[in-house]
Amino acid sequence: MKRLLQKIPDSLLRVGSVFIVFITVVLLIRSLIPASLKNSEEHRNATVEREVAHPVKHAGSEVCADCHEQYELKKTGYHKNLACETCHGAAQAHSEDQEIKPVLNRKREACTLCHLFNPSRPTGFPQINPVVHNPGKQCITCHNPHDPKPPRVPKDCQACHEQIERTKAVSPHVQLDCTTCHTVNEQHKITPRVVKANIPNDRTFCGKCHANDSKIKETPKVDLSTHGEKYLCWECHYPHMPEVN
Amino acid sequence: MNPANEHLYEMLRQVSGYIYPNEVEFHWSILIVVYPYLTGLVAGAFILASLVKVFKVKQLQPVYRLSMLTALSFMIIAPLPLQMHLGHWERSYEIFLTPNFTSAMAMFGFVYAWYLMVVLLLEIWFTYRRDLIRWTDTDKPVMRFVHRALALFSKDTSEEGEKFDMKAVKFITIIGIPSAFLLHGYVGFIFGSIKANPWWSSVLIPIVFLFSAIVSGIAMVMLLYMVVTPLRGQKIEMVCVDKMASFLFVAVVIDFSLEMLDFIHRLYESEESIKILSDLVMNKLFISLGIVQVLLGMIVPLALILFIKLFRVDEELRKLFYFLGAILIQIGIFATRWNVVMGGQMFSKSFRGLTVYKMDITGIEGLLMTLILLLMPFAILWVLIKVLPPWDASPSPSLH
Repeated sequence: MKRLLQKIPDSLLRVGSVFIVFITVVLLIRSLIPASLKNSEEHRNATVEREVAHPVKHAGSEVCADCHEQYELKKTGYHKNLACETCHGAAQAHSEDQEIKPVLNRKREACTLCHLFNPSRPTGFPQINPVVHNPGKQCITCHNPHDPKPPRVPKDCQACHEQIERTKAVSPHVQLDCTTCHTVNEQHKITPRVVKANIPNDRTFCGKCHANDSKIKETPKVDLSTHGEKYLCWECHYPHMPEVN
Repeated sequence: MNPANEHLYEMLRQVSGYIYPNEVEFHWSILIVVYPYLTGLVAGAFILASLVKVFKVKQLQPVYRLSMLTALSFMIIAPLPLQMHLGHWERSYEIFLTPNFTSAMAMFGFVYAWYLMVVLLLEIWFTYRRDLIRWTDTDKPVMRFVHRALALFSKDTSEEGEKFDMKAVKFITIIGIPSAFLLHGYVGFIFGSIKANPWWSSVLIPIVFLFSAIVSGIAMVMLLYMVVTPLRGQKIEMVCVDKMASFLFVAVVIDFSLEMLDFIHRLYESEESIKILSDLVMNKLFISLGIVQVLLGMIVPLALILFIKLFRVDEELRKLFYFLGAILIQIGIFATRWNVVMGGQMFSKSFRGLTVYKMDITGIEGLLMTLILLLMPFAILWVLIKVLPPWDASPSPSLH
């Protein structure tokens, strides 16, 4: 052995030793690395195990169908591909113990997550500008999330008053029939320019919803005795798109 | 407007045609331009050194050691731009510990390690070993220890040992030539194999990279020799510079021919991308490709060297022309890397639109960092020259 070493040139021996030390150190460090980081198959298995160990939070829509009849309505509507838990929150715990309620987000932001206007969304996908589309109102006031069709606006007047129709469709007055405010004689439909529809000529008419003492909830309230007393409401407020406080 | 998006909106104003949203901003910044530029210099400088040892071009002996040290100093910095760009440079060693043999990108670590450790460091060590031992006789204490440690505490100054060193150097250089080709051919391969990008996807790219690397390496060593020698108060050996210029001339001619071949090939093939690529070349890259890379980086230096070869030019003018030509070649080769890296990201994969590259001044991928990275090899070279003076060599038995 000693003779063999003597035959090897000194320089080669020294360089060789450095290389052997270096490679040994690398191999030593490599032996300390867990197998799951070296072998791709073991790495994949470890990942699967780690994921499986996470607690199950979602139950899936089929579980909801056992108790909640709205599921039948939803499965034929536009939201049929949307899981119940998308809006209602994770419900695995609720499916096991009905005392635990899932967290339902009723705010507009929950719906605008999908329906906010964004030019990259597909053509025809219902999108809104939340600043002008019934601001301040919850979406579910007009739209049933289990069967989200556009809300029906009274159709009778639409044939002639299309623009008003469209304006009102996104206004806070969307759910009011035209005849709530206008008294329309049948003759108006035949000779509209001769027989005109009536418009409210009394402040108390709007006060039915907007006076301080009105029993109707969720409407902006004013004190009729001090708020623009000598004018009719519609002389300042446009009833087909009233501004919102 | 969200201030984070201001940069994006500024760029969107300069986008022409149709472009996919994820193509507006560049993914690969100027640091990725620096990376092939530095790697090319390493390969080129080594090829120049190999001319002395393997092809016995004795005129180049004065720059042999300088070119080895140049290659090493650029080699040390070469992976830094990549690591800076990727972030987490401190994890880079992990590619050696948990290698992914199916990733072409990850293989760079091995190509790099092979070239640095088995080729460059070994060749430099065998070249310097005897001198390192000799210098310890006259060194001051600190430097004596440094030199002894660098010689791995070897004291063998026998003739057999020296002969073995010479043989080893020759053997390593022979391995080194294909390794240098592998190193920079690999960088070209990375671009050339991206088949989704018609600007990069070409089998000629690795070869073009290789020859441009040789061009830049020879020009860099020539520049360094012409700057360092007068600083040392020595006379520039014009035989050596003339020889380097001759090799440089041949390399530039081959590089130029290959690039023209690639250009004509693309034009003749006229694939579906040709329209957007023409638009790219004629508008976005006109200055950096047409003017800087081709005219200033190739045609003018070729004309300068040709002028010297055709006419009897005195030494001073020759030096000036060589110096000017070498600087222009450096700028030209940097522009080549720029055009490859930036050009490939400027057009949309829809082939219908072009975007722009906005360079930051500060920041990890900015201009300042780029300048620092480009200057760092020179600082390392300065230290290497101090520790391993390339001109204080013992007479080499292999050349006598």
